[in-house]
Amino acid sequence: MTLRQVPVLGHLIVQSQVAADLWRRDKGLGIGLLIVVALLVLFVAYPLLVVGAAPAVSDWVRGATTGRWRTTMGNTLFMALLSTLSSVTIGFLYAYAVTKVRIPGAAFFRLVPLLPLITPPFVSGLAFILLFGRRGLVTHQVLGLNTDIYGWHGLWLAQTVSFFPIAFLAISGVLRSINPNLERASQSLGAGGWTRFRTVVLPLATPGIAAASLLVAIAVLGDFGNPMLIAGRFRVLATEAYLQVSGWADLRMGAVLGLALLVPALVFFMLQRWLQGTSTARYVTVGGRGSRLEAEPAPPLVRWGLFAFCAFIAVFMLAKYVVILIGAFTPVWGVDFSFTLENFTRTLVRSGELWNSLRFAGLAALICAALSTVAAYLVVRIRIPFARELDLLALLPAAIPGTLLGIAYVLAFNTPPLALTGTGTIIVLSMVFMFLPVGYRICVATLQQLAPSIQESAADMGASGLRTFVDVILPLIATSFSAALVYCFVKAIGTLSAVIFLISHGTVVASASILNLAEQGYWGLAAALSTSLIFIAIAALAFARVAFGKRFALFDV
Amino acid sequence: MARTHAPRDGFTATDGGAHVELRGVSKRFGEALAVDDLTLDIEKGSFTTLLGPSGCGKTTTLRMLAGFFDPDEGDILVAGRSQKGIPPHRRNVSIVFQDYALFPHMTVRQNVGYGLKLRRLGRAEREDRVDRVLRMLGLQPYGGRHPHELSGGQQQRVALGRSIVMEPDVLLMDEPLSNLDAKLRVRVRAELKEIQRTLGITTVYVTHDQDEALSMSDRVAVLSDGRLQQVSDPWTLYHAPRNAFVADFVGHANFLPVQVERREGERTVVTVHGRSLVCHDPHGVGTSGAEAVAMIRPEWLEVVPAAGRDPQDDGSGRTFDGTVRTSTFLGSFARVWLDVDGLERPLVLDVSASSSTSLESGRPMTVRVPDGRPVVLAEAPSDVGAFGPDLPRRDAAQAVRATHGTTA
Repeated sequence: MTLRQVPVLGHLIVQSQVAADLWRRDKGLGIGLLIVVALLVLFVAYPLLVVGAAPAVSDWVRGATTGRWRTTMGNTLFMALLSTLSSVTIGFLYAYAVTKVRIPGAAFFRLVPLLPLITPPFVSGLAFILLFGRRGLVTHQVLGLNTDIYGWHGLWLAQTVSFFPIAFLAISGVLRSINPNLERASQSLGAGGWTRFRTVVLPLATPGIAAASLLVAIAVLGDFGNPMLIAGRFRVLATEAYLQVSGWADLRMGAVLGLALLVPALVFFMLQRWLQGTSTARYVTVGGRGSRLEAEPAPPLVRWGLFAFCAFIAVFMLAKYVVILIGAFTPVWGVDFSFTLENFTRTLVRSGELWNSLRFAGLAALICAALSTVAAYLVVRIRIPFARELDLLALLPAAIPGTLLGIAYVLAFNTPPLALTGTGTIIVLSMVFMFLPVGYRICVATLQQLAPSIQESAADMGASGLRTFVDVILPLIATSFSAALVYCFVKAIGTLSAVIFLISHGTVVASASILNLAEQGYWGLAAALSTSLIFIAIAALAFARVAFGKRFALFDV
Repeated sequence: MARTHAPRDGFTATDGGAHVELRGVSKRFGEALAVDDLTLDIEKGSFTTLLGPSGCGKTTTLRMLAGFFDPDEGDILVAGRSQKGIPPHRRNVSIVFQDYALFPHMTVRQNVGYGLKLRRLGRAEREDRVDRVLRMLGLQPYGGRHPHELSGGQQQRVALGRSIVMEPDVLLMDEPLSNLDAKLRVRVRAELKEIQRTLGITTVYVTHDQDEALSMSDRVAVLSDGRLQQVSDPWTLYHAPRNAFVADFVGHANFLPVQVERREGERTVVTVHGRSLVCHDPHGVGTSGAEAVAMIRPEWLEVVPAAGRDPQDDGSGRTFDGTVRTSTFLGSFARVWLDVDGLERPLVLDVSASSSTSLESGRPMTVRVPDGRPVVLAEAPSDVGAFGPDLPRRDAAQAVRATHGTTA
């Protein structure tokens, strides 16, 4: 048995040979790789290690034995289960209606779930308070009820509406990948509509649905804004960790609670990756050639039933935005519904918070897109050492709840040489790495579609690796660069969970300010500031669409 | 029809399906007329091929037979019963898709047994029938595998097995061999035909491959632009095409513009540049004095050896003198393009590889048209191109320069 066959050591030996080879062949690429690796290690791996090492054994014991936190953990898992179940159910039905049944107005219904993906998630919480809260438009004004939305049921509603689009996106991708000829074949062998659905469509979609569930569960676990706004006394780990840090300055206990959140998130993340890999390997379509017949139109009852369902969801989603807009022009919600511009003048003109959000998110988006592109190029197209590890590291932040990332950054960058706490830099960095996975994935997908021969022919004509990247690859992946840019920007401008730990005097961002205003009951001001964020996000998307035309596709629906 | 053939591997022949009639069937997609007034009889137990280029309506016809959509006009009858309004899952018709459409989440056994399970057949009978089909197709060792663990040829068999296990009235196949490599395709062709003959299933087969159509079918229906051009057995299709489209689409052909001299029963004498040719006129299209086209297959032309040439031959007969423009060696024979004075296009002929004739470019060559071989057609095909079939591109370019006098 040679050294190369020893499990870990062998891998190290082989990879270091690859490294030496790369360095000898192309110094420019070598340096590029070093920079990417250094950034990922410093801002993803290192903070995680610091936060992992922060709590002492006694803190873990305290976390596990205190009844209140045990309840919180129970609550968190309960919400993850409940909200995931509802989100995936709605997401599946919605995706099935839009992609398979092709209900009337499918093109419109396809677009509606994209709104929550580009607007801050806590908008749901805010909107549902305005709609169904103690002074809610529907509950109080119209129905005259004295209900209370605060609590787990309010959170359930807000999270379902916020996160079902994730399930919708993932599942519609899966449904579209099912060869319609399979349904036709089953039909020809004697299967009626329901049998086809039960024996062909559902089994084939199951791995995809499972993967979508895990994605949603990760998002629910990490959700901070909604529980903060609408959960009332019902506490989940994300909010509890924040309260430990902000209320008691107990960073170590915050770390314990945050890590308790990371464990299930990481498990889901790995499971999701595995599921995605195996299902595509197994269910890959065989015998690719051949004309495909569209699936048979669904019976009218199914078609119109699903149409009604989608219409209800869409109205619900749009009502969310309408009520925020109304709220922004209303002096005192629930009491005085006259028209005013004062909310805008007071929040926008006076404060630098929106400006902070804009410049931090803009800078973060640029860095994130650049890093995504370079990292994806290195991983997909160059034979680099530790490619798998690098890939994992770039995707890992997708599994890290924002709350934990915030605490980790506070702990890791509090002392020299990297004393960044209190600066704008740390906020920008947290945004970059939080949203890196999506940008990176977009770039990887594009690069995998480019024929390697393009790059080889450039090399053949004498271009170095770096030169090839700049001259050939960059122009070809300009659209995925811009998609990464826009995605990071719209997400960063509304993010709350990590940023809330990192702001200080002078670096307060709009999302944190909205939370603050809502907690104090300044609904009009909170709505006005939210409206501004929503419009900036939509404007950014519209701008990219105009600038890049049809080629710009942020979400593949 | 039933049980006339010896059972193979214990698989008993079924009742041999049903008689299928298409009566004036039309199908429109938006503005486009995909199938135009198609009337066709498909005999019980026969292997019928719908042949044509892409977009000719053959797949649409097949899908109407499967019941995926109904004809806009006309009717389809299976065993005398109109199929209108009967959904696919209530028809005893089974289709093999071009991409096989195997259920990727099921094993080979589950794929093959799927339809029987839907028919609520007892477990024992189901297993028995699946076993017989797997044995017949040589798939027994793979029963537990999933489609992605099979080769293309095996996947193709599973798709076939899944259909024939249903003992359908009509078996439909939509270019089932096009995803196989060339060698395998030829082998599977023979096997497929053998299985069909053993079971005696009425089969409708769709392809754009003339070799497939000629080698497997009892009857071939040639379609173009949604219209039926000709339906006949393969031999007649090749030797007596009804029109220029069929002549051109099935096999290779020279088309010579001719003047019809006179008719002599089955034969028609035509002239081309002073030579008279004795033609076959199976469809009676030649009228005296009219212009027509003589269709000559490349292998019908015979090379006249220079040595054995009769100096007294006045050329009134059936010979053409020309010079070899180019030739391609194709294994068992060589295809030659011969420039002949007065002919717009070169004559294309196949010369046996064992022949000692020199095929070098520029060599003179004389060819004879045997009496009774050329077929009289009303007109030439519209899109043969200026240089006859299959002229190598290089020569085509040269010819363009020569005819147009351009210097490129």
